[in-house]
Amino acid sequence: MTNAPLLKIEDLRTYFYSRSKQAFIRSVDGVNLEIKKGETLGVVGESGSGKSITALSVLGLISGGPGVIGGKILFGSNGEQKDLLDGLDGYVKLGREQNRIMQVSKDVLGWEKRSDELMRKVRGKEIAMIFQNPKASLNPFTPVGRQITEAIRLHTKIKDAQAAAERAIYWLKRVKIDSPGLRFNNYPYGLSGGMCQRAMIAMALACEPALLIADEPTTGLDATIQSKIVDLLAELKSELGTTTMLISHDISVISRLSDSVAVMYGGTVVEYGPARDILAASFTSKHPYTTALLASIPGEEHVRDKAALQAIEGDVLDTINIPAGCRFYARCNRVTPKIREKCEGREPDLREIGGPPGAVLAVF
Amino acid sequence: MMKNYSQRAGEIGDFSDLPFWKKADAVDLAYVGYGLLIVTLVVVSYLLGAFRLLPHDPHDIRLDLMMAPPGTAGHLLGTDFMGRDIFSRLIVGIQAYFLPGLLAVAISLIGGSTLGVLAGYRGGRADTAITYFTNLVDSFPRLVLILLVIAAFKPDIYYIMIVVGITNIPVVASLVKGKILFLKQKNFVEAAVSLGLPARTIILKHILWYNCRSLLIIQATLGMGEAILMETSLSYLGFGVQEPSPSWGNMVQAGANYFMQGKFWPSTAPALAILFTIMGFHLLGDGLNNLLEGKRGR
Amino acid sequence: MNLSRLRPIALVLTRELVITALLLLGVSFVVFVILYLAPGDPFSVLIEGQLPSEEARAGAREALGISSSWYAQYVTWVTHMLQGDFGTSIRTGLPVASELVFVGFNTLILTIGSMFVTLLIAVPIALYSSVRGTTALSWPLTMFAYVVSALPVFWLGYIVIYIFMHRFGLFPLMTSSSQGFSWLYAMLPIVVLGVGNGTISEVIRSLRDEMGRVMSEDYIRTARAKGASVWKHSFKEGFLIPVTEIIAAKIPFILGGAVIVEQVFNWPGMGRMAWQAAQDRDFPVIMGIAMLAAVFVRLGSMFQRVVYVMVNPRASKE
Repeated sequence: MTNAPLLKIEDLRTYFYSRSKQAFIRSVDGVNLEIKKGETLGVVGESGSGKSITALSVLGLISGGPGVIGGKILFGSNGEQKDLLDGLDGYVKLGREQNRIMQVSKDVLGWEKRSDELMRKVRGKEIAMIFQNPKASLNPFTPVGRQITEAIRLHTKIKDAQAAAERAIYWLKRVKIDSPGLRFNNYPYGLSGGMCQRAMIAMALACEPALLIADEPTTGLDATIQSKIVDLLAELKSELGTTTMLISHDISVISRLSDSVAVMYGGTVVEYGPARDILAASFTSKHPYTTALLASIPGEEHVRDKAALQAIEGDVLDTINIPAGCRFYARCNRVTPKIREKCEGREPDLREIGGPPGAVLAVF
Repeated sequence: MMKNYSQRAGEIGDFSDLPFWKKADAVDLAYVGYGLLIVTLVVVSYLLGAFRLLPHDPHDIRLDLMMAPPGTAGHLLGTDFMGRDIFSRLIVGIQAYFLPGLLAVAISLIGGSTLGVLAGYRGGRADTAITYFTNLVDSFPRLVLILLVIAAFKPDIYYIMIVVGITNIPVVASLVKGKILFLKQKNFVEAAVSLGLPARTIILKHILWYNCRSLLIIQATLGMGEAILMETSLSYLGFGVQEPSPSWGNMVQAGANYFMQGKFWPSTAPALAILFTIMGFHLLGDGLNNLLEGKRGR
Repeated sequence: MNLSRLRPIALVLTRELVITALLLLGVSFVVFVILYLAPGDPFSVLIEGQLPSEEARAGAREALGISSSWYAQYVTWVTHMLQGDFGTSIRTGLPVASELVFVGFNTLILTIGSMFVTLLIAVPIALYSSVRGTTALSWPLTMFAYVVSALPVFWLGYIVIYIFMHRFGLFPLMTSSSQGFSWLYAMLPIVVLGVGNGTISEVIRSLRDEMGRVMSEDYIRTARAKGASVWKHSFKEGFLIPVTEIIAAKIPFILGGAVIVEQVFNWPGMGRMAWQAAQDRDFPVIMGIAMLAAVFVRLGSMFQRVVYVMVNPRASKE
C-alpha cells in the first residue's frame, strides 16, 4: 500500500452537450482519484453520478459530445509513469465565465488521433475493462472463444492460433465456465448472462492487464447470478491480485470487494478513503451523502423489524444544471444556518478532517 | 476539424415549450422551406395552367421563331423546334401529373392505412396476408408492371397512376403497422380500449389522426415525388401525355435530337424542372420527417 | 467450414425456395389477371397472328384441350411456362423463351454493373459521414446525393452521350462492337444507371444510419476497449448485412431504371424489349419479361437471406 499509485486521475472533466437545452451535461466535473498497485478501489454513487463516464474516460472510449476536455490521467506500470491525456489539452479550448466552463472548442479529429496513439499500447494490454450488460458487450457474430483468442494474440506473446485457443480455454476454466471446450465455440446468444460475464472476465484477464476496470459487472444480471459473479471476482482477486477499479451503485458489492472506496456525487468525488472506515457504521465524520447512502441499504435489523428504509430526499443531481455551491446542498440534511452561506456560495474541496488517515471528504 | 459547443448564458430551462422552428435544426427548416416553395410553385402553376393564364399559347406554332434560345424577347426559356414557348409549355406540363399524382397519393394513403391498421390492430392472418401482398408488389419492378398494364389496357395516365398508387401501398402500410405496434407496446391502445372507446374512434381518431398524421403527410409528399418521376419517365417513353400536349417527359424526349446538336434548352428546361421539383418533394419529405418524427436522417 | 454451419443455410435456402416459388406463383397470377381483364380474350391474343380464322382458333382450343374457363387457361399457361415455353412473340413470331435468355443476360450485366457503381459512390460517402459525423463536407455531399437522386436519368444519359459524341465521336445508335471505344460505350449506360437510378441518397442514408447504429453498440465499445480493430468487429452487422439488404431492395428500382436507360442507349435488354412489347401489345413477351424480372428480384432477396443466415448465428434458430 505504500507504492506509488498505479493510476492517478487529476481534475478529470468529461462533458456532453444537450442540444435541446443548449447546455453542457457535466458528467465528470473535476474528478480526483488514485488507485494503488494491488488494491481494489470501489467507486460508488447513484446512477448519473459519473462513475462509468470516469472509467470510459480512462480508456478513451467516450464517443459524442465534447467528451474529455481536461485533466490528467497518470498511469504508471513497468516503472514509468505516463499521462494518458498527454498533449490532448492542446486540441481543446475552454471558455470560462465566472470560473465555470461555458464554451468548448475541440479539434475532434486531432484529439482522437492523439488519444488513439496514446492508448494503443494500453487498451486491453495494460488496462482491461468489463462492462455491464455482458450479453450485448460480446460480439454476437463471433464465437466467444475466438473473441478471447483475438485479445490473447493481440496483447500477449502467444501468436499461434492453437496455443491461443488452449490459453483461452484455460481462462474459461479459470472463470468457472463448465465444459469450456464446448463453450469456446458457442456464440453469445447461446450463453446465459452470467456465462457471458464470465467470458468477458476471462477475455479481460487473459492478457494479464495491470489494471482491470469493472464497470457495474453485476448490473443487469439475476440476483443469484450477481452473487456468483461477485464470488468469482473475490476469488480472482485473492488469486491474481490484479489492481481493480470496481464501479457499482451496489454498496454490498463494493464492501465485499474493495480496499478503498470513492463516493461520487454529481460528477465529483465527495469522499475517498479506506473501505473499512468509510463503510463502517461507527465511523462518524462522513460526507452527508455517504451517510444517507448507507442508511438507504437494508440491513439485518431492517428486515427483522420490518422497519422503513431511509430514502435520500430529492432527486439525483441534474448534471446539466450544477449549482455554484456544494453539489449536495439541495438534498443535504446537515446544513446549519452557520454554514448555509458557504454551502450555497462555493464548492467544498476534498480534504482530511479528523477521521482516520487517508480519508478525505468534501464538506464544510 | 473544430467542433464548438457553448452553453446559453443564464438559467438553463427546458425548451420543449418553444415553437418547433426555434428548436429545429436550421438545415431541416431549409429543406422544408425549399420544399414548400416548390409545392407552392407547382400548385400556382397548375392553377395558372388550368385557367390558361399563360404568357403564350403552348400550342401556338411559330415557324418564324423555331429554336429561339432562352432570353429571346417574350420567350424567357426560348422556344422549341416548332417555335412553341417553352415556359408556357412547362407550366401546362404540370397538368399532366398534378391530378393523376394526387390520385396515386390518395390510393396509397387510403389503401396503406387500411392495410396497416388491419395488420397492426388485428394481426394474425391479416398480417400474414399483408406481408405476402407486400412481397408480391415488391417483386415487380414498378416500370415493368406499368408497361404490362399499358400493354393490357391503354397508355392512360390514370391507369398508370393507379398502379403507382397500389405499388406504394406496402410502404405506407408497413409504417402505419409499425406505429400501431409501437402504440400497443406503450399500452396506448389498451388504455383507449379500457376507456370504453369504440374501435372506430380509436382507429380513426386516436391512431390515424393523432399518431399517424405526420407520417401520412410525409408519405404523401414522397409519393407525389414518386408519381411525378413515373409520369415524366412514361411520357418520356412515349406512353403518357402525347404530343402536341406538353408534359415534362415528352418535352425532354422531343428535344433529344437538338440536344445532340448542342441546342440544349428544349430538353434541359423540362429536365431541370423535373430535377428541382422532385428534389423539392424529397427534401420536403425528409425535412418533415426530421422535424415531425424526430429522426436524424441526414 | 464444417457441416454444422452449412445445415442452417441449407434449411433457409429450402425455406426461401418455397417462399420464392409461392411468390412467383402469385406474380404469375397477377400477370394473368391483368391480361385476363384486358379487352379481348387473352387466349385469342396469345395465339393472335398465328392462327388465321375464328374456326381455326376454336379448333386449336379444342385440340389443345383448353376450356374457356379462366382457371384452366391459367393452369395451362403456368404449366407451359414451367416447361420453358413462354409462347411466341406476336411481333417477331419467334419463341419468347430464347429471346428472354438473350435480353435477360444483357440486362443482368447492366443491373449488376449499375448496382456496383451505385455502391461505389454511396458506400464511401456513407462510411465517411458515419465515422466523421457532421463535417464541412457533409453539406456538399448531402446536396450531391439529393441532386443525383432527383436527376432524370434520361437527361443524364443525353449529357453523357453528348460529351462522348463530341469527345470520342461516338453515336448513340451505333452498335456496340464496331468501334475501338466500344467497351467504353458499353460502360456508359452502366455508369448512367448507377448514378441516376434515384436511389443514391436513400442508399447513403440507410447505410450511414445502420453503420452509426452498429458503431454505438456495446460490443463495438468492447472491441475498442480490448484494442481490437473496430472495422473487423463492425464489418458483419454494420456493412455486410446492410449492403446485401440494399442490393436486394434496390434491384426492382434498377430494373425499372433499366427500361429507360436501355431506351436511351439502345441497349438490347429486357427493358427495351418490354417497351417495344408494350407498344405492340405483344402479350407473350411482356408476360415473360415480367416473370423474368420477378425472378431476378426474388433471387436478389434470396441472396440477401442466405448471406444474412451465414453471417448471423441467431438467424438459423428463428
